[in-house]
Amino acid sequence: MRRLFDNLRLLRTSLPPIRGLLPLVLLLVIWQMLQSGPSPYFPAPDQWWMAGLRLFHRNDLIGAFEATTLTFLGGLLLAILIGTAVGILIGVSAFAACALGPLLEFMRAIPPPATVPVFVLLIGYNETMKLTVVTLSALWPILLNTTAAARGIDPLLLDVARSFRLTTWDRIRRIIAPAVIPALLLGIRVALPLAIVVALLVEMLTSLPGIGAMMIRSQRNFQSAEVYALLVLVGLFGFVVNDVFAVIESIILRRWPPRTATTS
Amino acid sequence: MPSRLLPRLNLPGLLTLVIVVLAWELAIRGGSVQYEYLPAPSAIAVGMAELIRSGQLAADTLHTLRSVLLGWTAAMVIGVTLGLWLGSSPLVRRYSLATIEMLRPMPGIAFVPVALLLFGFSLETELMVIILPALWPVLINTMGGVMGIHARLFEVGRTFRLPRGEIIRKLLLPAALPAILVGARISMTLALVLAVVAEMVGNPNGLGYAIVREQQALQPEKMFADVVAIGVLGIVLNSALVSAVAAFFPAASGRLREAG
Repeated sequence: MRRLFDNLRLLRTSLPPIRGLLPLVLLLVIWQMLQSGPSPYFPAPDQWWMAGLRLFHRNDLIGAFEATTLTFLGGLLLAILIGTAVGILIGVSAFAACALGPLLEFMRAIPPPATVPVFVLLIGYNETMKLTVVTLSALWPILLNTTAAARGIDPLLLDVARSFRLTTWDRIRRIIAPAVIPALLLGIRVALPLAIVVALLVEMLTSLPGIGAMMIRSQRNFQSAEVYALLVLVGLFGFVVNDVFAVIESIILRRWPPRTATTS
Repeated sequence: MPSRLLPRLNLPGLLTLVIVVLAWELAIRGGSVQYEYLPAPSAIAVGMAELIRSGQLAADTLHTLRSVLLGWTAAMVIGVTLGLWLGSSPLVRRYSLATIEMLRPMPGIAFVPVALLLFGFSLETELMVIILPALWPVLINTMGGVMGIHARLFEVGRTFRLPRGEIIRKLLLPAALPAILVGARISMTLALVLAVVAEMVGNPNGLGYAIVREQQALQPEKMFADVVAIGVLGIVLNSALVSAVAAFFPAASGRLREAG
């Protein structure tokens, strides 16, 4: 119970003071006063709210939101699982890290959105494609960070583990996890926005159900208020994802603090 | 700088690349991979040659490069200006940081439909989609850099009765430079990603659109060639920035490489 309280306090102190929202609030108020009705370009903020409610009642806003969120979370989870496992396997072997290095670096250099049409063509317009694309875009930062961290483990530590005849589980828990986890979190932090962008992009390009497709449809129908409403929704989504991850990160980092000495 | 690049070109690494490409080629030729639209590496090379010969690749690359540089420059100017302002004034920080934290995680692609409403399918749309998200790394890093400056430096400025412009030019900017450059590099990578996104759904031009165009024309060889071109462009932009920093600001380049 005390722990939970501590974590909540951590969240509060990690957020800047609420009065800092003043510029945003002022902008919205001035906007509302200057343009109080509908407009093809700058509809008033209260119109956004009404358009949002309309989408909620008439169209399937919840369904679209769910589709996008599930793709995002599923892809991220797969990327974390694959990236951590493969990253450690590559990282603990000096030869594998050396041999696969250039290949991985080139894969990382390709902006993930560029691969979306490739997978549309290879896999087709379906949910598997969506999940594959999101997973792959989130994979590289996680994989490369994990590899670098696993590579940075002092070989002496692994020798020590062998001398003490530690079981595989103990070796992972005591030596690999503390070295890899901070880097893994950093990789996930980079992967989060990429995964959101790519999930929305797939929907925009292919019109598979989701918030991205809904945004493009509203824009094509010149429903400007709907477009702004969805922009706010996506912005809030990004904000919540970012903050939830920050809390998870700080909780995990308290258990496994980053060790600056081993980073290379 | 060949001396710094050479040790990275390791033999097992190159060999792996060759083996992967060969295995890919053989798998397609041997018919053991049954993807209708997965071309062999040799076919991609032919597609690339065709794109180069027709001048299409150069035109597309030029458009993307121009958009990235324009957007990145604008993001740098706005980001550094705001970052200096926020970094040097606790009052401004107090009354705007929460707004920044609110807007910063906004996924760049969400601006595409709004930009399309405002500007239609145009370069302006692409630039809006690039600038708004690419701004934050510069702003946050500049602000952090200025906040990390020792208070004594400000006192020195005051003792010499330097005017405001001089303080910014002679004290704040040099001291915050390493942090600003780290932001610049992150922002450059982001700008390329967003340019590709914007070209796919916002501005039918450049390499991003080329990929979609070849996908819809069922020309997988050319599509893969365009993807490779974007990867190369990313590597070139990044190493150009790192080399430029090493050449012009050698003192700041160490931290930049660390951040990479």
